[in-house]
Amino acid sequence: MPNEAIPPGTLDLLILQTLARAHPLHGFQIAEAIEHRSEDVLRVEEGSLYPALQRLLVNGWIAGDWGKTEGNRRARYYRLKPAGRKQLERELFHYRRVSEAIGKILQPA
Amino acid sequence: MVQRFFRRFIHLFHRERFDRELQEEMRLHRDLRAAKLRERGEPDPQAASQRRFGNTLRLQEESRETWGWRFLDEIAQDLRYAGRQCRKNPLFTLIAVATLALGIGANTAIFSLVEQILLKPAGIDHPERLVEIRERADRLNIKSMTLSPPNFADARDSRQVFEHTAAERAAGLNYSAAQAPQWISGSAVSVEWFDVFGAKPLIGRTFLAEEDRPGANRVVVLSHSAWVKLFGADPAVLGRTMELSDEPYKIVGVMGLAFDWPRQTDLWVPLALPAAAFSPNNRFNENLTVVARRKAEVSFPQAAAWLKVLSDHVWNSGYAPAARMAKNTGWGMFGIPFIDFTAGDNRRPLLVLLGAVGMLLLIACSNIAGLMLAKTSARALEMGIRAALGAGRGRLWRQILSECTILAAAGGAAAVGVAFGGLNLMLRTAPEKAVTGIEAHLDPYVLLFTAAAAIVALVLFGAAPAWQASNAGAEAALKDAGRASTPGRARLRLRSALVAAEAGLALILLVAAGSFLRSFARLQAVNPGFDPRGVTTAMFSLPVKQYSSAEKQALFFRAALERLAKTTGITAAAIAVGVPFTPYGDAGAFMIQDRPQSPSEPVRQSERRYVTPGYFKALSIPLLRGRAFAETDEAQSELVALIDENLARQYWPNENPLGQRIRPTFGQDFYTVIGIVGHVIGSDLAADSGKGSIYFNLLQMKIATPVAWIVAKGAPASLAPAIRAAVHDADPTQPLRNLKSLDRSVSDSLAPRAFAMWLLGLFAVLALLMSALGLYGVIGYSVAQRTREIGIRIAMGASRRSVLISILAQGLRLTGLGVAAGFAGSLLVQRALRSQLFEAPAFDPFAFVVMAAALLAASLAASYAPAIRALRIDPLSALRYQ
Repeated sequence: MPNEAIPPGTLDLLILQTLARAHPLHGFQIAEAIEHRSEDVLRVEEGSLYPALQRLLVNGWIAGDWGKTEGNRRARYYRLKPAGRKQLERELFHYRRVSEAIGKILQPA
Repeated sequence: MVQRFFRRFIHLFHRERFDRELQEEMRLHRDLRAAKLRERGEPDPQAASQRRFGNTLRLQEESRETWGWRFLDEIAQDLRYAGRQCRKNPLFTLIAVATLALGIGANTAIFSLVEQILLKPAGIDHPERLVEIRERADRLNIKSMTLSPPNFADARDSRQVFEHTAAERAAGLNYSAAQAPQWISGSAVSVEWFDVFGAKPLIGRTFLAEEDRPGANRVVVLSHSAWVKLFGADPAVLGRTMELSDEPYKIVGVMGLAFDWPRQTDLWVPLALPAAAFSPNNRFNENLTVVARRKAEVSFPQAAAWLKVLSDHVWNSGYAPAARMAKNTGWGMFGIPFIDFTAGDNRRPLLVLLGAVGMLLLIACSNIAGLMLAKTSARALEMGIRAALGAGRGRLWRQILSECTILAAAGGAAAVGVAFGGLNLMLRTAPEKAVTGIEAHLDPYVLLFTAAAAIVALVLFGAAPAWQASNAGAEAALKDAGRASTPGRARLRLRSALVAAEAGLALILLVAAGSFLRSFARLQAVNPGFDPRGVTTAMFSLPVKQYSSAEKQALFFRAALERLAKTTGITAAAIAVGVPFTPYGDAGAFMIQDRPQSPSEPVRQSERRYVTPGYFKALSIPLLRGRAFAETDEAQSELVALIDENLARQYWPNENPLGQRIRPTFGQDFYTVIGIVGHVIGSDLAADSGKGSIYFNLLQMKIATPVAWIVAKGAPASLAPAIRAAVHDADPTQPLRNLKSLDRSVSDSLAPRAFAMWLLGLFAVLALLMSALGLYGVIGYSVAQRTREIGIRIAMGASRRSVLISILAQGLRLTGLGVAAGFAGSLLVQRALRSQLFEAPAFDPFAFVVMAAALLAASLAASYAPAIRALRIDPLSALRYQ
């Protein structure tokens, strides 16, 4: 794993969330959107976005369709599928529960 | 989960496009990043972009792996490599694949045949519950015969034991709707016939209970084949009427394709026995085939015990004549599982073949094992090097397994071909009667099982070196392989044992085949008492109405025979019932005038044959004493009969039978014995009952059976058309059937044996070939291993002859071991086979010696090629070898 500081699956979650806000987006656009919000995740290796995209594709959470960029080049535009939206909700719910629990533990008595 | 797998699977076929597209995406990404960096004033935007992106190749690899392709890639690589290995050793590959194909294929074919004949005949629901009920008369030496109506009724009314019981009798019928009359093979069956087999009609219905009565029985159920043949599978046949032997029958139903009981029946009509048939006097008038279905909770032994109870009841019944007759003849009813009964003569030959083909599989497996051992031990060095270079244990295993997979796949595919071809060939060459109703379909489970057996052998012995390489460590393997020393020798010992075992098994098969061959030759040399050469027979049926008296019948016979007599090329002709080796014989009891039978004496019994005077000339049956039938014998003159020598010996051992008067139980008339003729074997060359015959003159009496045979001797080519023309001229409405040479009928009676012998011989030859191949492999390998040693011996002055002899001796030693083991096995097998052989000694030294010699000769041939190779060894290069 290129980014050991970041919990595994975080990148996947970020991609799903990015696509949930606005889609379709091609790879570079996703990378830019993530970078805006979280400098760290893609700091070491921007290209690690691509294996992550494959994971989401294999699971059927996102789909990719070829289209044209503003500069008139071919690009694959990704969009969230209903299964991906559900997965995102599941992950967010899970994430919130965990962070709440951690928050409670860390709260001074 | 499934969807994910499916997506991966789909992607498998778009791999190149996937790679291209991924590259394109990544390139776009880097370009866009570079453009952005350039805007910011980066000095080398391309390089900076690449830096930020990361290692493109690795990222691509990682993306690909996400789709689970690395594993597949490696497998594909292994398979490609293994394929190369197989191509590099074409001889090895060919032998391995052929061995697998023959071993698996032959087994699958035989098992598929056996399954259909012995285990699951088509068209029967729960066939194991069906029981064929038969009668026997121990004191008359009659072991199995059909049932009489009263006995059928006893079984039928045993509802606590049999769910359904039904009787059947052949009914020859003429169908005259078409221009030319057609012979229909019909069966008259009692009402429950279809229920016994659990068969439902395809369309319409089967019979009703009230139709199984005289006068109400003009209804017919068609077989599927007759429906297609006669009515073009028209569903509207129901309710139509068809003329059968000049009587109108209403079609009420059509059976499905699978239902074919009795075999090759065109249609069924109700049996409709009159009430009189069930009278106690009729208890010993046996003419019904009876099949019953056991209730589910009744076992076969229980059903058999019940039949014994029924028989005992007759012995002790109040009806004295029946009880006396039963006691005098040792009469009783018994049951046979229906499948065993229908498999009949084929059962034991099939079991013999099963055993033989099983041995063939064993030989094939040990051959495969030997081949794999040789091949992989030769590659121990390669394995060692690969292990040393860091190939993981799993990788080495996969390597071996993928080679096995390729061999197994090729062998398995070829095996399916062999099995399918073999089964079709068997069905075509097998005696027709043995395989009617059997389809050429393979049993997938058998295929899987035999393939699994062969592949286990393949993998087990193929994997040994990989196991050794991965366990003993690379170093040991390298050291060992470099010197080809002791472990190689241990393996050679194992291979030698395998080869010896193969030779032993092959010998057992060879000796068994040889015994069958000799038994068959003895059988063919048996003199049947008549000369079938140049004789052709054909069957016809006589409509009862048209030929209601002996005179009318005689008129027709004389007309047909006169026409035949005029035909050039025909030397003799006759009409007959009870021609040897043709169906429809007749047998029964008879009385002798002035010689009352004591109650304790068994009933006097004979075969009955009904012939016109020309019969004895046509079949070259010798007249031993007295005179033969004459044209002048007719209905009004004295009734006469001929007997054969066996009957004369049995009943008139010390007196002259000529002039004696006998009365067969079918009527009240006495017949005067006017001559004695030679005995003929009726149906089985191997087991003639020896029962004597009485011949009646067909010109004097009305025929009792619904069919008769026309027999003509002469030049083969002219016979068939002449017979057709003669019968047509005498009566154009008479269809002929079963036109066949008598020679053929006799040899057909041997067909099941010939078939078993032929297949057994084939298996034995295959076994011989395989064991020779196995030996060839072992000797060849040992010569290769001993190259250095042989080189040294030649350099030291050993003569080439001594080298040659030492190698041939090695082969002979192995085969000799096998012969010794096979000798013991043969003794056991021969004992088991003896009941299958004709006049066979307990041990046939001739077959054994000849076959052992053949095996040793084959082994010499197999070791000769490697021996010659050894002789060509150049001492100098041999010393440098390895």
